[in-house]
Amino acid sequence: MHIGYHWNHPTDTLETSAMLIVVDPSSGVPVFRQVMDQVRFHIASGLLKAGDELPPTRSLSAELGVNPMTVSKAYSLLERDGVLERRPGKPLVVAALGPEEIDLEKLDQLRSHLSGAVRAARQLGVKPGEAVKIFRQMLEDDKED
Amino acid sequence: MGVLALTNIHRSFEPGIPVLDGVDFSVEAGEVVGLLGRNGAGKTTLLHIAMGMLHQQRGTVEVFGLDPHRQPVEAKGRIGFVSENQILPAFLKVREVIDLHRCLFPSWDDEMAARLIDRFGLRPGARIKTLSKGQARQVALLCALCHRPELLLLDEPAGGLDALARREFLETSIQALSDSGTTIVFSSHYLSDVERLAGRVVMLHDSKVLIDNSLDELHESFSIALVPHRPQGTSDALLALPECLGIRVRTDAVHAVFRLDPDEARALITEKLGVTDALCRTAGLEEMFIEVAGGER
Repeated sequence: MHIGYHWNHPTDTLETSAMLIVVDPSSGVPVFRQVMDQVRFHIASGLLKAGDELPPTRSLSAELGVNPMTVSKAYSLLERDGVLERRPGKPLVVAALGPEEIDLEKLDQLRSHLSGAVRAARQLGVKPGEAVKIFRQMLEDDKED
Repeated sequence: MGVLALTNIHRSFEPGIPVLDGVDFSVEAGEVVGLLGRNGAGKTTLLHIAMGMLHQQRGTVEVFGLDPHRQPVEAKGRIGFVSENQILPAFLKVREVIDLHRCLFPSWDDEMAARLIDRFGLRPGARIKTLSKGQARQVALLCALCHRPELLLLDEPAGGLDALARREFLETSIQALSDSGTTIVFSSHYLSDVERLAGRVVMLHDSKVLIDNSLDELHESFSIALVPHRPQGTSDALLALPECLGIRVRTDAVHAVFRLDPDEARALITEKLGVTDALCRTAGLEEMFIEVAGGER
């Protein structure tokens, strides 16, 4: 599977593009972190599987309209974390992770999404028991839809 | 390798009113530096001095180890320059402007020029005066890029362009970066463009360099603190902290920018001011810019 923002561009070399990585440079979150978070999210959710190729730094940076150093920093850090694998002369691919590692990744992702809610609960003075009840209720409601 | 080294630069246009007052600014090969500052902060002056178009009154300038005033041909041959106020000869045709640049620069790349003419959809037979602002800027960028400069100086290159033309400009610069690792220094009021392109941000304020940090540091190791107005003297106490870059007194709270991440800022405010309910968070460049440029220090 190819990932990358679809970009209507004459030098676009990707055959297929899905809108899987989107960056918002003004969000205050460094762009390399946004790229890392989204790649990890797609691995945790199963959208990206072991052996799937990532777009070259050059095309992803052109498509996202960001500095290539930013993409290469995100890739290197993901490689360091063992999430991506680089083999000489071949495209960067998703590393083979065991089911336990994927589960850990899922929980990590959820944790990072909840950190904003935790901060809000603290600032609003909502007690942990109440907050957990709301979270459980929202999960139940979502299931019914 | 040092590409650009400006040391202790002073420049004023009216006696007693410095535009640049002891500015140190250096750039390494491969860096992409976004130059920020309010109108009149001295960004253009700084770029003109680097380009050898304007003399500094004190200080030294080196471009690739050369003095752009004494060795202008050697220095300028390695620099590409595009400015919002660049004037191309109105009566010449696009083709003639390009030919002129080809004659001036031995390193001219015809293939690249043809590619960019095609990509920008420029008509070589069109006269400059008939071009839109965006097209004229594209001609200027083409002329700046096709002699394959090692350093690109862009002075508000996207000024006055529509969103699509701006994106085209950005993408072309990104391609130059990918292809040849060109060093880029650019000034821009479009802070989202700066966040896309720059690796490092330098902000000029009150004739001096106020901020010189990597963009990642600005996003993660700087924060904005909203500090409640009580007790008395909050503003002065904040300004007395060396880590505080400036404050802005608003109706809701005192906004203070810190060279600290949010947790460190909150801890410092609690320790020094005894205020426990300050809200501290990181922010995007635009918000940071407004807080710093519009504040007092």
